[in-house]
Amino acid sequence: MSPTRLFQGGLVVIAAALAVYPVFGTGYGVRALLQLFMWIALAGSWNLISGLTGYVSFGHVAFFGIGAYTAAILITNAGWSWPLACIVAGVAACGLALLIGYPCLRLKGPYFAIAMLGLNEVLRALVSYFEGLTGGGSGLSLPTLQASVPIYYVMGVCAAAVTALTYVIITSRFGLRLMTIREDEVAAEAMGIDTARHKLYAFLLSAVGPGIVGGLAARDQGYIEPISVFPLATTITMIVMVLFGGKGTVWGPVLGAVVLFVSQEIVWARFPYVHQLLFGAIIVAVVLLMPRGVLGILQIKYRLPRTV
Amino acid sequence: MTAALEVDAVKKSFGGVTAVNGVSLRLEPGRIYGLIGPNGSGKTTLFNCVTGVERRDAGRILFQGERIDGLKPWQIAVKGVGRTFQVTRVFPELSALENLLVVTRGDRATAERRGRELLTFVKLEKLAGEYAGNLSYGQQKLVEFVRVLMRDPSLILLDEPAAGVNRTLLNDLLDAVRRLRDEGKTVLLVEHDMKVVMGLCEVVFVLDHGDKIAEGPPGVIQADERVIEAYFGR
Amino acid sequence: MNVVITPAMVGQVVISGLLSGTLYAMVALGLALIFGVMRVINIAHGPMLMLGAYATFFLYSAFGVNPYLTLPVSMAALFVIGMLLERTLVFRVVDAPELSSLLLTFGISIAVVNLAQLAFTSDLRAVEFLTGSFVVGPFAVSKSRLVAFVFAAIITAAVFVFLRNTKLGKAIRATSQSRDVAMVCGINVGRIHLITFGFAAALAAAGGTLIAVIVAIQPEMGQIWTFKSFLVIVLGGAGNYPGALVGGMLLGLIEQLASLFLTTQLSEAVAYVLLVLVLFVRPTGILGGRST
Repeated sequence: MSPTRLFQGGLVVIAAALAVYPVFGTGYGVRALLQLFMWIALAGSWNLISGLTGYVSFGHVAFFGIGAYTAAILITNAGWSWPLACIVAGVAACGLALLIGYPCLRLKGPYFAIAMLGLNEVLRALVSYFEGLTGGGSGLSLPTLQASVPIYYVMGVCAAAVTALTYVIITSRFGLRLMTIREDEVAAEAMGIDTARHKLYAFLLSAVGPGIVGGLAARDQGYIEPISVFPLATTITMIVMVLFGGKGTVWGPVLGAVVLFVSQEIVWARFPYVHQLLFGAIIVAVVLLMPRGVLGILQIKYRLPRTV
Repeated sequence: MTAALEVDAVKKSFGGVTAVNGVSLRLEPGRIYGLIGPNGSGKTTLFNCVTGVERRDAGRILFQGERIDGLKPWQIAVKGVGRTFQVTRVFPELSALENLLVVTRGDRATAERRGRELLTFVKLEKLAGEYAGNLSYGQQKLVEFVRVLMRDPSLILLDEPAAGVNRTLLNDLLDAVRRLRDEGKTVLLVEHDMKVVMGLCEVVFVLDHGDKIAEGPPGVIQADERVIEAYFGR
Repeated sequence: MNVVITPAMVGQVVISGLLSGTLYAMVALGLALIFGVMRVINIAHGPMLMLGAYATFFLYSAFGVNPYLTLPVSMAALFVIGMLLERTLVFRVVDAPELSSLLLTFGISIAVVNLAQLAFTSDLRAVEFLTGSFVVGPFAVSKSRLVAFVFAAIITAAVFVFLRNTKLGKAIRATSQSRDVAMVCGINVGRIHLITFGFAAALAAAGGTLIAVIVAIQPEMGQIWTFKSFLVIVLGGAGNYPGALVGGMLLGLIEQLASLFLTTQLSEAVAYVLLVLVLFVRPTGILGGRST
C-alpha cells in the first residue's frame, strides 16, 4: 500500500474515532478535544496568510475577538441561536479584514506585523469603551446552555474545513501565486500578478476561521471579557503552533496544534508559572533552529510533495 | 506605424541623484534594440520606469500607443510587457515548472504543456520539478527567460541576459531572441557583453549619466566618439 | 463631557507633553539605533527598560541609594545584557528575513517578562523618592517627571554628540547607512552590531531608572514602551535618528492633549490608534525615512 493510501486510510480512521468519541468520552475529554479543534482552525487560518504570503499577522486574534463578541452580542441581546450567530461572527471577521486589509497589506513586513498588533489593542479598547453593547470591562455573560457536544462537532468541522481549504489552495495556482508574494513580491508583480488583490483574498480567507471559532468559543465558555478574547497569548500560540509544525504546509499547523496542545495539557498545566518562558524559548528555538518547522524540514529533506 | 514602446523625456531622480535625465527612445515593433552605457548610466532605472517598478518623475511612457506610466507593474505586465532582472529573481521555493505555471491563467493542462516545452527548449526539462533555488545561476537565468515567454508578451525587456550563461546555451538564447523578433515581438536588452550587442541588436541606444548620448546601428555606435569617451574617458 | 479649555490647561498640556516626550525620545532612540544599524525590530526593548527599573528598585531598597545615582549602574548592566543577547541570539537573525528577527525578539521578550515574574513576582513595586510637584504660576510639574526630563535630555543630547563626533559614533552611522560600504571601509560590522544592541539596551535601562521613580514597577511594564517607541520611530521616520526626537515630542504632546478630551480608557488607545493611522497614511514617517 502506498504511503498516500496509508495516510488517507489513517485519516478516515481518526475521523471516525473522533466522530464517535462524544458517545464514550468524558465531558473533560470532549471539551479538551473541542479546544484542540479550535487551535487547529486558528493555526491553520493563520497559516493561510502568514505561512503562504509571508505577511506575518501579529494581531490575528483580533478576528477571534470580533467573532466572539459578535456572536455573544447576537445571542445575548438579540436572542439568536448560536449556529446562526457564529456564521454571522465569521462574516463580521471577514468584514473587519476587508476594512483593514487594504490599507494594512500595503505595509511592508514588520510594519504590517506591528500594525496588526496595534489593531488588536485598538479593538480591545473600543470594546471596553462601548460598555452598553459589550458589557465593557466586566464582560458579557451568555444565557446558559449545555451545548458542548454539538459545538464539538462544529469545531471539528471547522478544523477540517480549514485544513481542507489549505490543501485546495496549496495545490492550486492561486496558492502558487500567494507563495510568490512570499518569495519575491516585486518579481511576482512584474510577472503580472496583482499582489494587492491576492493578499487581500488570503487575508479574508484567514479571518473567517477565527471569526467563526471565536463565536463558538464564546458560546462554549458562556462568558467573555476583553482580555479573554483579545489576548496576545492567543496570537503567540497560533504562531508557535504553525512555526513548529511547518508554516506554508497543509498539515504543519495541525501537527503543531496537536503537539503543543497536548504538551500544554499534560506538562504545562503543572507548571503554569513558566508557561510564557517555555513558549518564548520554543519560539526562539524554532526561529533559530528550524524556521521551516518539522514538516518544512522533512519536505525539503525527503522531497515530499507540497500537499504534506 | 505605432511604436512598440515610446519613452518620452522621462526623468527619474533618487534623492539628489538624477538617474535618468530626460531620455527619449522610440522602439519600432519587430526589432531588437540594445541599451548600453557605463555602470550607473541609468539603464536599469529606465527599465524599472517602463515596467512600473519605479514611478518616473516626469515624461511619458507609451506602450503600443497607450500610456503606461503610472500603472502598476502587474497591469503593465498583463498588457504585454515582460522583463527579466539583472540579478535573477526566480521564485526559489517553487519548482522550475511552477515558476512558469504561476504566471499563467486559464487551462492548467495547456499551461503545463507549454511550460515543459519551454523548459525543453532551454534543455532544462529534467529539472522541471527541482526547486528553482537549487538550480545553478545560469540555469536560473534560463528559467527566468522562459518564464517571461509564458505570457507571450509583445515587448520583452532583458536585463543582462548573457551574464553567467555558458557560450553554447548563450547562442541558443540569442537564436531564441532572433526567433522572437521574427514572430513580430520587440526586444530591448541591456547588456555589457559588446559581442552580444553588436551581433544581435539592430539599433543601439547609449546612455551616460542619465542622458542618451547616441543612437544608431551597432557599427555606427562603436565608432561614435562620445560613446568611446563615455566608456573609456578622454 | 463638557470641558472648558483654558490657556492654562493648554500650557500645562504642552509642558507635560514635552516632558514625557523627551523621555519617549530617549528610549525610542535605542530602538531606532537597532533598527537603523541592524534592520532588526527589537520587541524585547520594553523588557530591557523593565529590567533597568527593577535594578534601580533593588539598589534603592537594599542600599537606600539615590535612585538617580543608579543610572550608570542600570545602564551598564543592561549594556552588558544587551550585548549578551546580541552575541548569543540576535546576531543569527541579522541577515535573515526581517520577520525572523521580529519573532525572535518577540520570543525573547515574553521569556524575559516571565523570568521577571518568577524572580521578582508580579507585585507592584515603587521607588518613593521624589514626590510632589513644583508649582509655577498656573502650571504644576511633578518633580520626578521634571528630573526625568532633565536626565533624558542630557542623555539624548550626549548620544547625538557621540554619534556625530566620535569615531565609534561615526562608524555606527556609517553602518546604518550602508552595511556593505561600511565593511569595505574596514569597519568591523559585527562589533558595531554588538555595541549598538548593548547601547540601545542601556538607553532603555536609563528610561527604566527614570520611570521607576514615577510609576509602579511590574514585569509587564515594558510592553507599552516597546509599542510607544515603535510609534515614535514611525512618526519620526525609520532610520532617521533626529526623527526620534520629533516623534517623541509629538507623541508626548498628542497623548497629553488626548487626555484632556477623552476618557482615560480611550486616551490609552490613542497611542495605538495613532500608530495605525500613521502607518496607513505615511509609512515612511512624518519626517520621511527609510522604508523597510
